[in-house]
Amino acid sequence: MDMKRSYYEDLRLFDTLPLSLWLGVAVLALAAAPAVFGNYPLYVIGYIAINVIVALGLNVLVGYTGQISLGHAGFFAIGAYAVTMLANAGLPILPALLLAGLIAAAFGFLLGLPALRLEGPYLAVVTLGFGLTVETIFAKAAFFGGATGPAVPAFDLVLVPGFSREQNLYLLIVATAGLSLLAVRNLMHTRVGRAFVAIRDSDIAASCAGVDLTYYKTLAFAVSAFFTGLGGGLFAFHLGQVDPTTFNLMLSILFLAMVVIGGVGSILGSVLGAVVISLLNLKLKGLKMADFEQLPLIGHELAGFLGRNFMETGMANIQFIVYGTILVLIMLFEPLGLYGIWIRTKRYWRTWPF
Amino acid sequence: MLKKLGNIAALAASLWLPLSASAAELTGVTDTEIHIAQWGPQTGPAAPWGSVARGTGMLFQMINDAGGIHGRKIVYHMFDDQYNPAKTVAGVKELVEKEPGIFAIASGVGTSPGLAVKDYLMERGIPWVGPAAGSLHWITPPQKALFAVYPLYADEAKLLVRHLVEKEGKKKIAIFYASDEYGENGHRGAVAELQRLGLTPAIEVSVNQADRDLKSHLLKLKESGADAVLMWVNPTHAVITLKTAAALQFSPQWATSSTLSDVPLMQTITGGLWKNIIFASFSELPDADVPTVTKYRAAFPKYAQQGERWGVFFMAGIGFVEPMVEGLRRAGRNLTRESFIAAMESIRDYKGVMGAISYGPGQRQGQRAVFLARTDDTGTKVTQLTPWTEVK
Repeated sequence: MDMKRSYYEDLRLFDTLPLSLWLGVAVLALAAAPAVFGNYPLYVIGYIAINVIVALGLNVLVGYTGQISLGHAGFFAIGAYAVTMLANAGLPILPALLLAGLIAAAFGFLLGLPALRLEGPYLAVVTLGFGLTVETIFAKAAFFGGATGPAVPAFDLVLVPGFSREQNLYLLIVATAGLSLLAVRNLMHTRVGRAFVAIRDSDIAASCAGVDLTYYKTLAFAVSAFFTGLGGGLFAFHLGQVDPTTFNLMLSILFLAMVVIGGVGSILGSVLGAVVISLLNLKLKGLKMADFEQLPLIGHELAGFLGRNFMETGMANIQFIVYGTILVLIMLFEPLGLYGIWIRTKRYWRTWPF
Repeated sequence: MLKKLGNIAALAASLWLPLSASAAELTGVTDTEIHIAQWGPQTGPAAPWGSVARGTGMLFQMINDAGGIHGRKIVYHMFDDQYNPAKTVAGVKELVEKEPGIFAIASGVGTSPGLAVKDYLMERGIPWVGPAAGSLHWITPPQKALFAVYPLYADEAKLLVRHLVEKEGKKKIAIFYASDEYGENGHRGAVAELQRLGLTPAIEVSVNQADRDLKSHLLKLKESGADAVLMWVNPTHAVITLKTAAALQFSPQWATSSTLSDVPLMQTITGGLWKNIIFASFSELPDADVPTVTKYRAAFPKYAQQGERWGVFFMAGIGFVEPMVEGLRRAGRNLTRESFIAAMESIRDYKGVMGAISYGPGQRQGQRAVFLARTDDTGTKVTQLTPWTEVK
């Protein structure tokens, strides 16, 4: 379907005109958002965009290079702490963000070294240990502010004069997410990206074909950690507070879920996964008994059942169950993730009415 | 291409300019309603604390049933943030910026969820009364619109140490504390008080949040020869501590903070080991026969949801917010955030289910007094040991 007729066609960043047009529309809509929306929608879009950056970074590692990581909350934390402490030391925000990404990348390189000899479940355990260690070190060391974390300096970067702090922060986050998307897409069209994919498909074959495994595997970890650190840095300003317990194992798993639910090894998938998981995360908290009553047919019985079994003191204690059910259903009916749904929809319309 | 980009930029700019300055001020007050919000973990590991937010809900229902405040009913927006600051921020921003806005924030569990929204609320001058955590962050420096109620952990620790030394005749007091802000504050207060009394701690042992095997900690405490231990840890660790101590046949006088003052809960989760414990209390005891408590206890069966328990934290949800209700009453019919803050500053020695609460210009720590109580040999009966005491 997506037949390429020449090598240069394959190298183009955006291969079709409709894609470029839609991207243009999306950019315009996101750029206009601060004027139309209040702080709350900007906060939600910002939260999603940060998760998009992380999901893109993690997909480079998991989807494109075929390595697993259960410790990305660690890189996220390193980014958040690095930005906070660099900015507190007087560094302007943009260099601090970039430097925080590079610091996270350095740790990514270090974690990539054991990955040279480990695979699958073994690597999962090593990265898991990394994430837990980082969380504990930050929570322990007085240098990092201990259990309450360091104070995050005020976000004082002005991108558009006359904009409020929230609006400027929103623009920075969304612009960074956009640039990250371009960067990852571009990277995957280069020699480096193709080396990553070759390693994923078969590292022995890749090594025979001249891909330096040591170099590219550690590079994949570093690149992935860079984007995650960048996301963490933005998150520190977005939340206005850094607390070590935020960067727990659950967060690492959530990041991985974004990639898997969205679509492994797909850029659009990273975006879709981040959007869906973020929205579920923020929106399910308002779930009430009355919401179940409104479901057709089974609503009344379901609400009664839940009320008897899950809702002590009248509170909806079941958003975790709903959350899990949605994730299981997506994987059950679309193993390729949300990206798979997108592919099938596209194919259906392209060949319609046949 | 460049020209095209220029056009796009101009279009985007023209969309921004007219609208960016016109965000209307939402006050959360209408002719008939006052909108008040609170977050609280209803699910997840911190869920036992969620009863604070539900207690506040009962207080507001009782006020509305009695006709409201100066002709206005309170509309209470409570949401579950699962003790996750990212969700606290999202929930608060959503409510504050949606018609008709939020007039004030009532209580709210947790230091880190609270810290995540503090600057946002203070920049907008949205009053916040009675955060449900004894943190120093609320009052250093004092904020115009933030009125703290919860007494300081350091003061509780000082009072406990003073009692152990002067009334119980204990000489070797050990400090066992969590390595977080809560534990550190208790630790600091205890050391300062011991110093004042010319003593040093028998030993200082800290416990990490992730630790589940506390045997080495307790061996250290036992070997120090301590006859009393100040236990400044979370409920899970308190359970493990008492069980491990029983196994090691180590039975000092335990003394602990107001966060572990829910006796029936502690009795259940320790499997009946919560005996002869001295603890600090920030509110009247839930079964106390004082009119400020009995009126709520009597109303409880009518208002509470099925499965709710009349415990100290449910009651604290009332106590943290009573000063806010008093402030709303004093502010009168012409309710603005300014008139409310002025009314709050006029409160002196207000006595509800908490200790006496006073505010004033520049004074934002409402309650300083706590009292001590002790569970009996069966762990079911609680007796008050001291009157309400302010640590000077």
